Amino acid sequence: MAYEKKKCWSILLRLYHWAFALSIVTLCITGFYINSPWTNSMTEGSASWPMAYMRFVHFVAGYVFTAAVLTRIFLYLFGNKQERILEHLPVTPRNIKNLFSTILQYSYIQDSHDPDRLGHNILAGITYVITIAAAVFQLASGFYMLFPEIAIWEKYGVMIFGSQQMARYIHHLLMWWFMIFAFIHVYLVIWNDVKQPEGLISSIFTGVKFTHKA
Amino acid sequence: MADTVNKTLDPHVNRRGFLKGCTMAAAALGLSESMVPKMVEAATSAQRPPVIWLHFQECTGCTETLLRGAHPDIAQLILDIISLDYHETIMAAAGYQAEQALHDSMEKNAGKYILVVEGGIPTALNGVYCKISGKTAMEMLEEVSSKAAAVIAYGTCATFGGVQAAKPNPTGAVGVDQLVHDKPIINISGCPPNPVNFLGTVLHYLTFQRLPAVDSLKRPKFAYGRRIHDHCERRAHFDEGRFVEQFGDEYHKLGYCLFKVGCKGPETFANCPVARFNEAGVWPVSVGHGCIGCTEPDFWDTMTPFYDRIPNVKIPGAGIVADADKIGTKVLGVTAAAVGIHAAVGIGKRLIKGKSDSDVG
Repeated sequence: MAYEKKKCWSILLRLYHWAFALSIVTLCITGFYINSPWTNSMTEGSASWPMAYMRFVHFVAGYVFTAAVLTRIFLYLFGNKQERILEHLPVTPRNIKNLFSTILQYSYIQDSHDPDRLGHNILAGITYVITIAAAVFQLASGFYMLFPEIAIWEKYGVMIFGSQQMARYIHHLLMWWFMIFAFIHVYLVIWNDVKQPEGLISSIFTGVKFTHKA
Repeated sequence: MADTVNKTLDPHVNRRGFLKGCTMAAAALGLSESMVPKMVEAATSAQRPPVIWLHFQECTGCTETLLRGAHPDIAQLILDIISLDYHETIMAAAGYQAEQALHDSMEKNAGKYILVVEGGIPTALNGVYCKISGKTAMEMLEEVSSKAAAVIAYGTCATFGGVQAAKPNPTGAVGVDQLVHDKPIINISGCPPNPVNFLGTVLHYLTFQRLPAVDSLKRPKFAYGRRIHDHCERRAHFDEGRFVEQFGDEYHKLGYCLFKVGCKGPETFANCPVARFNEAGVWPVSVGHGCIGCTEPDFWDTMTPFYDRIPNVKIPGAGIVADADKIGTKVLGVTAAAVGIHAAVGIGKRLIKGKSDSDVG
């Protein structure tokens, strides 16, 4: 059977994806350290600065994460057809149909073939939108903790979270969402690539998917 | 001319103590040395602001801290700078006379007096949980605040409800700013607050004729503008990764950072490391106990467990209260199990049906 190459993801979306993924891994590791530092400098004057370095790396990764999230929001509005938000949410009859067929496909009940859909299925789309929303809260709580004395962050931080401690708590709980999301995401990407060979995994590097020639 | 020889104030306050108190307040406010004479002048002028001090749901610890300093200077100063017309703990009058003093002061100084509130105000069942002379705390607050020039909420109970507002808050306790909306309010939080912050607020008011700048929780910025963590004497140990693992261990004796035993300094705003307490130069962290975050809203709910970093996760209905990371690890484990089962079902189905994906080219 013949396949044809189809351009699916723009370079900006691919850059966003890898900035987002790598920053999340970095943020989780350094975040765990900051919450519960597992090293203890036994020798004084050793100048190892583990906490200072971990925080520095966490903040740099935080800025990368911020840039990634802003890029994704930009692409939701101004990206190509596959990248726009209306293609991700069950807001049209076509998308609602895809949501149900995806659930049935993931439950091994029927095979799903949606030949005119090149981008995400709707189940994935909804999850990504929720993840970006969680990321916005992660940013807000993070910057509120990083700049507690800057008037604007202080004002909105108190308004949204009430106190530094609640911001810290929500920041910590949301981290678990990202870790569980990443786990399921990687599994389902592999699963989809096995079930339906369209070059899903390579598409996030090359931007190209393969579909059957009509 | 500044009365530095002290002819007008209480003779128990000597000149040295008086100037020391004014200088401390100026330092707390972040004012320059040159402002001290102006402050002295304001403190000794004839216009002493009348103050009515009300106690509601509380332990009187705020007043105790004020009165029981190692040196009496600050308390004496505060009590001399202001004209304290009504204070349930320290007034000599009782019964009818006390009520009369309150009434007289309110009438005579209507629109001019400062109301200091100590303690939370219960609002459940129309406030029956706290009654003084037949009136509920809610009624008293409404009545006395209506004629006040400004309200100072003193202590975490009066500012954010305090311990009695901890979940499930059976008496519906709230802070002053939930009930009084038409007066300027200053929140001097803390359990108890540092008397220097009260002195600073009053002296600021006397010197500049206005209340100090406040943050979005109405706390004066001079005292609550910076995080404890950023001025902590143990901060270097934090950055260097030297932590107390448990109370009494070797690292505790060496004075390392208390972060891992639950110090809430990184999320608490107050000037404790700078102003310190009781003129003895101590504060909780300096004597080896972490900050418990007592100046923050809902600290009984959000800062507990006091010896852990973040609150536990409570799952309503299930009766589960556990560490966030333990629950997170369990959820991740369940996810991994679900993923395993999902993959196994797929492989099993394929084995039963044979190679079904005929389109694999």
